[in-house]
Amino acid sequence: MYLAAHNRLDPDWLRDQAHALMGAPEDLIERLNRGVRKRNARWTFLSERPFGDALRLRRFRLGNGLTVLTLVDRSAPTVSYHSWFRVGSRHERPGKTGLAHLFEHLMFNETRSHPPGDFDRLMEGAGAEANAATWTDWTYYYENAPRDALRLLIELESDRMANLVLRVPQVSSEKEVVANERKLRVDDDVEGKALELLYENAFRRHPYRWPTIGSMNDIRGFNVKDCREFYRTHYAPSNATIVIAGDFAESRALSLVQRNYGDLPGARVAQTRKPSKEPAQRAERVCQLAAPTPTEKLLVGYRAPSFLDADTPALVIANEVMFGGQSSRLHRLFCLDEEIALSVRGSISPFVDPGLFEMWIFLREGKTRAEALALLDREISRLGSEGPSEVELEKAISQLELSFLHSMETAGGKAEQIGFYEIVANDGAAVFERLAAYRDVSAADVKRAVAKYLRPSRRTRVEIERKPS
Amino acid sequence: MSILVESSDILPLVDVEVAFAVGSLKDPAGREGLAQLSGHLMRRGPRGLSQQRFEDRLASLGARISVQVSMRSTRVRATVLRRSLEPLLALLADMIWRPALRSSDFGKLKRQAQAGLIARLDDDEALGAICFREAIFGEHPYGRTLSGHADSLARIGVQDVESFYARNIAKGAFLVGVAGDVSDTEARALIASNFPSAKRAKHKDAMVPATRVRPGRHVVIVDKPERTQTQLFIGTLGARTRDRNLFPLIVSNTAFGGTFSGPLMQEVRAARGWSYGAYSRLLHAKQRDAWYMATAPAAEYSADCAALQLDLLERWVDRGIKMAQLKFAQRYLINSHCFDRDTPSKRLESRLDVELLGIPRRYVEKYDELVAGVSREEANDATRARISSRDLTIVVVATATEVAAAFERLPGVKSLEIVPFDRG
Repeated sequence: MYLAAHNRLDPDWLRDQAHALMGAPEDLIERLNRGVRKRNARWTFLSERPFGDALRLRRFRLGNGLTVLTLVDRSAPTVSYHSWFRVGSRHERPGKTGLAHLFEHLMFNETRSHPPGDFDRLMEGAGAEANAATWTDWTYYYENAPRDALRLLIELESDRMANLVLRVPQVSSEKEVVANERKLRVDDDVEGKALELLYENAFRRHPYRWPTIGSMNDIRGFNVKDCREFYRTHYAPSNATIVIAGDFAESRALSLVQRNYGDLPGARVAQTRKPSKEPAQRAERVCQLAAPTPTEKLLVGYRAPSFLDADTPALVIANEVMFGGQSSRLHRLFCLDEEIALSVRGSISPFVDPGLFEMWIFLREGKTRAEALALLDREISRLGSEGPSEVELEKAISQLELSFLHSMETAGGKAEQIGFYEIVANDGAAVFERLAAYRDVSAADVKRAVAKYLRPSRRTRVEIERKPS
Repeated sequence: MSILVESSDILPLVDVEVAFAVGSLKDPAGREGLAQLSGHLMRRGPRGLSQQRFEDRLASLGARISVQVSMRSTRVRATVLRRSLEPLLALLADMIWRPALRSSDFGKLKRQAQAGLIARLDDDEALGAICFREAIFGEHPYGRTLSGHADSLARIGVQDVESFYARNIAKGAFLVGVAGDVSDTEARALIASNFPSAKRAKHKDAMVPATRVRPGRHVVIVDKPERTQTQLFIGTLGARTRDRNLFPLIVSNTAFGGTFSGPLMQEVRAARGWSYGAYSRLLHAKQRDAWYMATAPAAEYSADCAALQLDLLERWVDRGIKMAQLKFAQRYLINSHCFDRDTPSKRLESRLDVELLGIPRRYVEKYDELVAGVSREEANDATRARISSRDLTIVVVATATEVAAAFERLPGVKSLEIVPFDRG
């Protein structure tokens, strides 16, 4: 049982049950460290936190700095293994944009122990789905696998953390794949192109201004030396967090991690410079994008606080009130009442540093961006002056709770949430605090946050117009 | 009414599905899109409740409802926080059996559907997939799009929806599936108290003629300006659900293009970097559905990529797969099968497929055995029997001037047609 246990079972009793099943962490560590001389391979137990009512999230660290989070959950015979690195496109520099993402691709290639293609062959043979993602603040690699495959996951992930082979053929071929991915997601994609333009114009100093996939010139220009330097700088146990979630024996998993990662040097990752602070925006910025698209679109990005800022939960609620599903204000107004748009969408970038509150309006044929902008301004102003109703707050909370529970359905979903919160909030279990923070948001909080952040002078607008064929 | 329950108290969440064995194959000729419009108009809520109040109520409960129409089914899916299950079921039953079907809502919905057809032109992959089905199946019902086209939507009136609803939903047999944090007994009691129990007419399966393969290799270029990259679909007819050699073909296709390690992905992406994705899909239905390869190469080498794929296809069909490839595909399919059932809703879905679509029960219950039992000879025989490397439909979304000449030169091409991407 998981969250369903709420109000039904005593948390202390559950904790005792967890210890009975998994063993007390201190005893476990003591056993695993017995006879281990190498400092890098010795475990330290850091903390244990409830994860919902019935699960326990434990944090351990190896001597070489590798952090490991475990969440035993036997609801399905699967296990999810995530390797999160604190490196993303914000750690790049102009002229070398897209390196973090290209590197993510290269990690699926050859190592000193495994020839090219072996990683995917072994993973797929075991029934594992392996993939990865890179964004501004992080990169992560994951496998969702049948529970019996855990040993293989640990062996292959530890191997590529230290033994990757970077040579001309791999780098050249993968640069071509990434160039194609860029064409797919940006150059030939109206939304991708508009988003690139938005961030490029909304930020002038901060690295969030360049796209994670990189510019085509930079992608074409990478060489083996760039990749080797990036690997040395960012891929080390002390810059990584492993999350293991699902149906596994904790003691065996930690023992395997110790055996496979314990020999890796505890190299200190070079401290990257803190990115330049983005100066305050004092006037609206507008840019045009002419594209071969059948309908006009409007993309607006308001400067928003960081994911961890105390104002962010109120803005998340504001987003739900305006854009959350078919009962939301803007869906009703734009898509049903006025029939100006086919769809509307809003989201707040979940970044470590202040990002953007993005709003999309996909107009219908013959409707203009000016009409849409006037309506948008009117609604934002109304929300900022009147705030949401109690019913709207209730709807927003219920819908966020529903989305949260859906994200927790699988072992992979749980591992992803834990990894994200560990990297961005330094606490993998903070996802539950987030939900509590949403519940604490009042109508006055929403009103204040909207009035503070959603002002025209804080926004950048991308106007997407039809290019005549 | 049959009720299927998959209980699990892992999360305080419940999924409910009400499924009807009726879909777009029941669309009358010239009124394609009717089944989908009917489902979506029903989704706008019950009598006595404005759409807005209906949506507000759903959102407050922590619930979402969607209606998904396929060729052979209409599935009303709801997901809800456990604490709101009872009121959600009452609302859901009201929506399905007392739908408002207001003509004012219909007007808005129709205009929305028409706008959707226009907006879809932005999505090259979706455009390619739709054009591929139209090109391979022609006038056959499998070539229709669920959402219809501009002309067919224009012909549909609210009376068409009312009569479609009356014939197929109001009096039709249905299945109910419940998955999540509710016991079997409780789920059955709740369904019985909310849903009608009168005996209902079983849906007659739409008569679907056999699909026919068009001899030779035919290229269709969906001409869109300023494409630096192309969406490429190459395929032929695939399999019937009840084909005796379906599982051998599934295993063989998995070995060829169903994984990252297969020859299609390795040759196209790993060795040459020509496309971000490269896979082959085997679809099956009552009549033979499609088999196809999908890639997205840059315009400058799109035809070279197509030539490579044709070569790989010929080798696969002529020489078959090797024993190591067979074993690998079997291991992959069996080991990864746990992800088809790792949540209660996925387990429910496969049971509903059996009941609703007539998928043989053993395909679900004896999946591992059926996969493991395929021999190399069976896999290769099935490939040769079902996949033609001579009779192929090649659809590419591209800027025609950039690629037409090169595609015309592909081996065995009998015809090349260029259609504007926004032809309607």
